[in-house]
Amino acid sequence: MWSQIARTLILALTTLTAAAALGWLVDYWLGVLAALAGIGLQMARHFRNFSRLDRWSTAPSIEARPEAEGAWDMIFSRLYRHEKDLRAQIARRDAELALLTAAGQALPDGVILLDEQNRILFCNTTAENQLGLDVRSDRRQPVVNLVRQPDFIAYLEAADFSRPLSLRAERGEERVLSIHAIAYAGDRRLLHVRDVTLADRVDRMRRDFVANVSHELRTPLTVLSGFLETLQEIELDRGERERYLGMMAEQSLRMQSIVQDLLTLSTIESAPPPENLPIEMPELIDKLRGDAEALSAGRHTIVVETAGRGDLIGARSEIASAFGNLVSNAVRYTLLGGTIRLQWRVGAEGAEFAVQDNGIGIDAKHLPRLTERFYRVDRGRSRDTGGTGLGLAIVKHALNRHQARLEIVSTPGMGSRFAAKFPASRVVGL
Amino acid sequence: MNEHLSSQFDEDLDRVRTLVLQMGGLVETQIAAAVNAFESGEVDTVKNIVETDQRVNQLEKTIDDDCAHIIARRQPTASDLRLVLGISKIVTDLERVGDEAKKIAKGALRIYEQGHTPVQYGVGIRHLADAALNLLRQTLDAFARLDTAQATMVIQQDAEIDVEFKATVRQLITHMMEDPRTISFSIDILWIARAVERIGDHAKNISEQVVFIVEGRDIRHTSKAAKA
Repeated sequence: MWSQIARTLILALTTLTAAAALGWLVDYWLGVLAALAGIGLQMARHFRNFSRLDRWSTAPSIEARPEAEGAWDMIFSRLYRHEKDLRAQIARRDAELALLTAAGQALPDGVILLDEQNRILFCNTTAENQLGLDVRSDRRQPVVNLVRQPDFIAYLEAADFSRPLSLRAERGEERVLSIHAIAYAGDRRLLHVRDVTLADRVDRMRRDFVANVSHELRTPLTVLSGFLETLQEIELDRGERERYLGMMAEQSLRMQSIVQDLLTLSTIESAPPPENLPIEMPELIDKLRGDAEALSAGRHTIVVETAGRGDLIGARSEIASAFGNLVSNAVRYTLLGGTIRLQWRVGAEGAEFAVQDNGIGIDAKHLPRLTERFYRVDRGRSRDTGGTGLGLAIVKHALNRHQARLEIVSTPGMGSRFAAKFPASRVVGL
Repeated sequence: MNEHLSSQFDEDLDRVRTLVLQMGGLVETQIAAAVNAFESGEVDTVKNIVETDQRVNQLEKTIDDDCAHIIARRQPTASDLRLVLGISKIVTDLERVGDEAKKIAKGALRIYEQGHTPVQYGVGIRHLADAALNLLRQTLDAFARLDTAQATMVIQQDAEIDVEFKATVRQLITHMMEDPRTISFSIDILWIARAVERIGDHAKNISEQVVFIVEGRDIRHTSKAAKA
């Protein structure tokens, strides 16, 4: 710095001395002129550099280092380096921030960061989907402006975050969310949003199951005890007596089949993995057709369609009971004169056993719950036709144990197709 | 000093906006509860719905009061003024939506008390109500985000609700002509359908206010083409 000042001073002094000498030796005015010209030249140089700095500083660019002369060059290079470092630092911070954001995005649960006024600072895509937010338009927006349910607002206002809030999602499909607010950095909050639809359903299933078992058993039991009372108290003629006893037998048979199905279900559930023996499919299908025809008693047309060759590996009893249930369901829910197709297809990607009917069909809203125990689409009808309400639960469990999936396609009034899809690893003799 | 004042002003505006949306949230749940009561016959919730309506009314008064205060103390101009004016109109519409929800709930109560079950109309009304509720939700979202594109969409969709309402009315008329004994019951259903249809209209009004707030265009009572 000092050397620069010294150099400038020396240059100025030299100019002045030279001008003085010129003035002394040649002409006084020439000396003055030379002095002014010398100083003027130096000022012009400084001014040029100054205007360069001015230009560069309005839009600092790091593409090319700004060129300058003399003392100015050093200042330029320092400014240039500073700008470059700053940009590198910003880029690094940006990358770190992007990583943190990506981590937030990677969380399987919804996360929303709020500031002190409950305004949205950040939310990941999961949370956007769960609550119908859009971070691009909703940043700095109070979260209660968009999630407006009074329960949620009350939860945030009460500021008692010891337990999560359970909330029904308003937008899109029916979902149950569990929202937990967690305080961070003083008065700020982090909302942790979990989709508990499944847990909620399991919970309801368990409650329903107990209620349903008692209900299913109580109904025939009430009939039984009612008839018993009648028989005890009233003298009946032989014909009526026979009729009542017949109905009692029917009800006890019904209870028996419920208990039998429950036992089957619990055996399938708790048994060790099924033995892996080949099951002869042509024979099994033949038997299923025989069962269907017996159950239908000529009211339906039964068609068997097979494509490809191959047998399943698994436990015959479980597979037979699963397929048998699908077949008997089709017979039960298809009106007089309908057609039931038993389809067995083997391909490179696996095998499929399907039962297709043109029966009454099932409304789409029942499909997700169809395999729940005792779940009934139409309470009255299914009991009339002698179902226990456990058939599809058995099917699902038996198929699960064979790594197979149950696929249901159904249109009310048009019919249904229940397909059990087995992976290729469960098929032999391809 | 000036900046402090204006940011305080912004806070006031934001608070009123949040209050409006809070009121909207209450009304949304009210409608959902009322339609559930109608569909399921669990009319115990009717008392709750009526109680919520009192909270909605209270909020309307609070917000109106706040708006008056803001105008008097801050003398807002341009978009701020439009926001305050728009809010005071939106609040009126929201309060009426609350009243419609109350009507639905009371209608449901009347129907079930007379021993009827509106099974065959349940689906239709539910469909209509879902559409109306969806409109209201979208319009409130549009207000929160000051999103005129969404507001315009709501205005266009309201026509669909009107069409469906007319279909419901025709169906009811047919039933009444076929069996005059169902007239009183059918009229109750008609009132409910009418209330639901009105919710769609109010949602449309609110959307028109959103367009006014953002763009300063008054698109009420104009032709469809001018609204786009």
